Amino acid sequence: MQFAVDRTAVHGRPALRVRGELDVATVARLAECVEAELSAAPRGLVVDLTDTAFMDSSGARQLARTAKRAAETGTALQVVCPRSNSPVRLVIDLLELDRLVPVVETAALTDGEVGS
Amino acid sequence: MDTDALARCADEPIAVPGAVQPHGALLAVTEPGLDVVVASANAADVLGAEVTGRTLADLLAPAELDRLRAALAGDLAEAEPLRVSPGGRELDLLLSRSGGLLVTEWEPVAGAGQAGAAWHRRLPTVLQRLSAPTSLEGLTGVLAREVRALTGFDRVMVYRFDAEWNGEVVAEDRREHLEPFLGLHYPASDIPAQARALYATNWLRLIPDATYTPVPLEPPLVPGTGRPLDLSGAVLRSVSPVHLEYLANMGVTASMSVSLVDRGRLWGLVACHSYSGPHRPSSADRTAAEFLGRTASLLLHTTVEAADRDHAVAVTRREAELAAAVGRTPRTPAAALVDGTLTVLDLLPAAGAAVRLDGRLHLLGTTPPADRVAAVVAAVLRAGGATDRLTRALPGFADLTEEASGVLAVEVGRGRGDFLAWFRPETPREVSWGGDPHTSKVTDGRLSPRRSFARWTETVRGTARPWREHEVAAARALAGHLGEAVLARAAEDDRLSAALQRTLLLEELPKVPGVALGARYRPSEADVVGGDWYDLVPLPGGELAVVLGDVAGHGLSAASVTAQLRHALRAALLRDEGPAAALSALNQLIGALLPGEMATAVVAQFDPATGAVVLANAGHLPAVHAAGGVGRLVTDGRGPALGLLDAVTYPQAELRLAAGDRLLLYSDGLVERRGRPLPEGLEAVREAVAAVAGEPQEVVDGVVAALDPAGGDDVTVVGLARV
Repeated sequence: MQFAVDRTAVHGRPALRVRGELDVATVARLAECVEAELSAAPRGLVVDLTDTAFMDSSGARQLARTAKRAAETGTALQVVCPRSNSPVRLVIDLLELDRLVPVVETAALTDGEVGS
Repeated sequence: MDTDALARCADEPIAVPGAVQPHGALLAVTEPGLDVVVASANAADVLGAEVTGRTLADLLAPAELDRLRAALAGDLAEAEPLRVSPGGRELDLLLSRSGGLLVTEWEPVAGAGQAGAAWHRRLPTVLQRLSAPTSLEGLTGVLAREVRALTGFDRVMVYRFDAEWNGEVVAEDRREHLEPFLGLHYPASDIPAQARALYATNWLRLIPDATYTPVPLEPPLVPGTGRPLDLSGAVLRSVSPVHLEYLANMGVTASMSVSLVDRGRLWGLVACHSYSGPHRPSSADRTAAEFLGRTASLLLHTTVEAADRDHAVAVTRREAELAAAVGRTPRTPAAALVDGTLTVLDLLPAAGAAVRLDGRLHLLGTTPPADRVAAVVAAVLRAGGATDRLTRALPGFADLTEEASGVLAVEVGRGRGDFLAWFRPETPREVSWGGDPHTSKVTDGRLSPRRSFARWTETVRGTARPWREHEVAAARALAGHLGEAVLARAAEDDRLSAALQRTLLLEELPKVPGVALGARYRPSEADVVGGDWYDLVPLPGGELAVVLGDVAGHGLSAASVTAQLRHALRAALLRDEGPAAALSALNQLIGALLPGEMATAVVAQFDPATGAVVLANAGHLPAVHAAGGVGRLVTDGRGPALGLLDAVTYPQAELRLAAGDRLLLYSDGLVERRGRPLPEGLEAVREAVAAVAGEPQEVVDGVVAALDPAGGDDVTVVGLARV
């Protein structure tokens, strides 16, 4: 699958849907998109890895960096990665990325949000 | 509907209309007999004498006849109009030939506008003014001004055709109160192909009264041939009613046009309009206007070429300046292109530019959104590198018409994903009506300039100004210079990181009593240094700490982080507080000194005296413990990867290596393979460790052979056993 980052919205929050293989060759694309979103300091941001076929350590590091940047901008970051996407979910679990950023099965409402 | 009118116009037999305009009369006569064969119905009125069945010898005075015969003996194209007065009325007699007949056209001198001798005396000055400008704008501006001064039309425009025959008004001279048409565009359909073909050979057309009633030719078919008379070369030729309707809709009451021809190809037109009734410049003034058109035509090529050359030279000079700026700061080429007083956006005319170097994107001016740029550039690169109609040529970019109808992209280096790109907006956005459309004096009929503009807008929707050859060349040259700078730096980085990596590997495995060791490091085949490291740290109490780690990322920066982590972990382990405490300390160090970095590591501290192993794992793949022919993944003693959280307390796992047991640590390069789920990779390692008998080095080699890892990442495996 061709790598792509699609900008969508989930419950009114900006969302980045990452498709294809997130690795050392493609991670800069995600970094650019994340920076573009966070520069506006949104209240929330969703990074959706449901359709991400593969993630290497560079990709994981980018998620960690994203989480730290989001903390700086006061943005509630949420990573969506269902258990069914085991190639990516296992990497997240091994690294225990969920201790840094909420990793959820599907994009959920965060506190104080009203669904759209 | 417009299209019907235009289709009719395109089919119109414009060369053989069978009629003439009423401001003169036409007689087609035989040669050398000069017998009248075809005559316009108004001939008797204009000439003041009956023409049917007569010869020109009957109509002209002997002296006039002599001058006519002298003219016929020479080149008709060079013949001056003959001033004659057959019925006592002064007429200009114009000559041409068509279908074996001599076509004579008789135009009354009275009623024609005369610029007079004063203008003609100014001709040398006018010619000098025409040849002075070094830009096309200058040349066409002078041309419009002088043609209007000569002919007295209310408005004189210079049109230029593009490659698809759409026209643009590039110069204009007009009465002050008139709405400006400068910058307006017209679709190719406004001037049908057959009319353009006629214009390329016939330099001047005149319609002194756009409301005229055509005068038929009699007989309609030339006797003996059965065909209508071809009027291509006749000045009185009656024009298409569709064209008259077009003029009427623009409020034009009289019009004239002079062709501009560049090396045999119709380049444009000088279009003249009157809005206040009939207007007929004299034959002499028309000849002078045509002369100006022909002179300007000759100058077009050199003027355009000179302007192009100036432009190309300027672009090349700016390319050289940018390349020099990159040369001065080879480690930060992007800054040289983006932050200087001269930026990559100044290289050539464009609304926006993008620079991507080392995976970092910089945008200047008006560009597609950051998250779309890479996709746009990749698609354009695949399609050849330049497009002036992105959304028409490539699918998926329909929303980028406004800012990126034109894209010029060049790759920097190869396969690194680095590039330079320039963006041009959709053309219609560069064009505006000169006046307020709501107060227009122009009628909005079926065919009108406003409708034309709307139609033209449709034909160019989604297209941008084309990229010129010298612009593409300059972009490629700059990318070439950048590529060299980046390559030179990358080669230096590779050398450095390979040297650094060598310092991370052990020359020789340490000899620790009671421990047998095996290790294998295989660098990535992708020719980049990865972030793997391993270490064997003998501790003061006789224990041995075995480390296997992996820093996220590749290349020089990963190698330098790896070196720092390896030494920091060594120091922490030598404090002898156990693997978990050492990993906590390392995690803290990353947070404090290497923010943004991430690594995984597993540490197994082995006591040869007892076989006891204390193991802690920070986000790394689980170690494999093989005992009695069964492999087990050590999944406890785990905590998060290093660098994720500020403070972590890692747990420890405890196990015991019996004689004959093996413990294997490895990096993800061993098991990670696209298309194979990670659990299957782990399972394969577990089975391979259990299956291979022998010393730790044999186990390590056997596992690498069994897993046969893909070459994209570096592979590190360390095995130990109790002896």
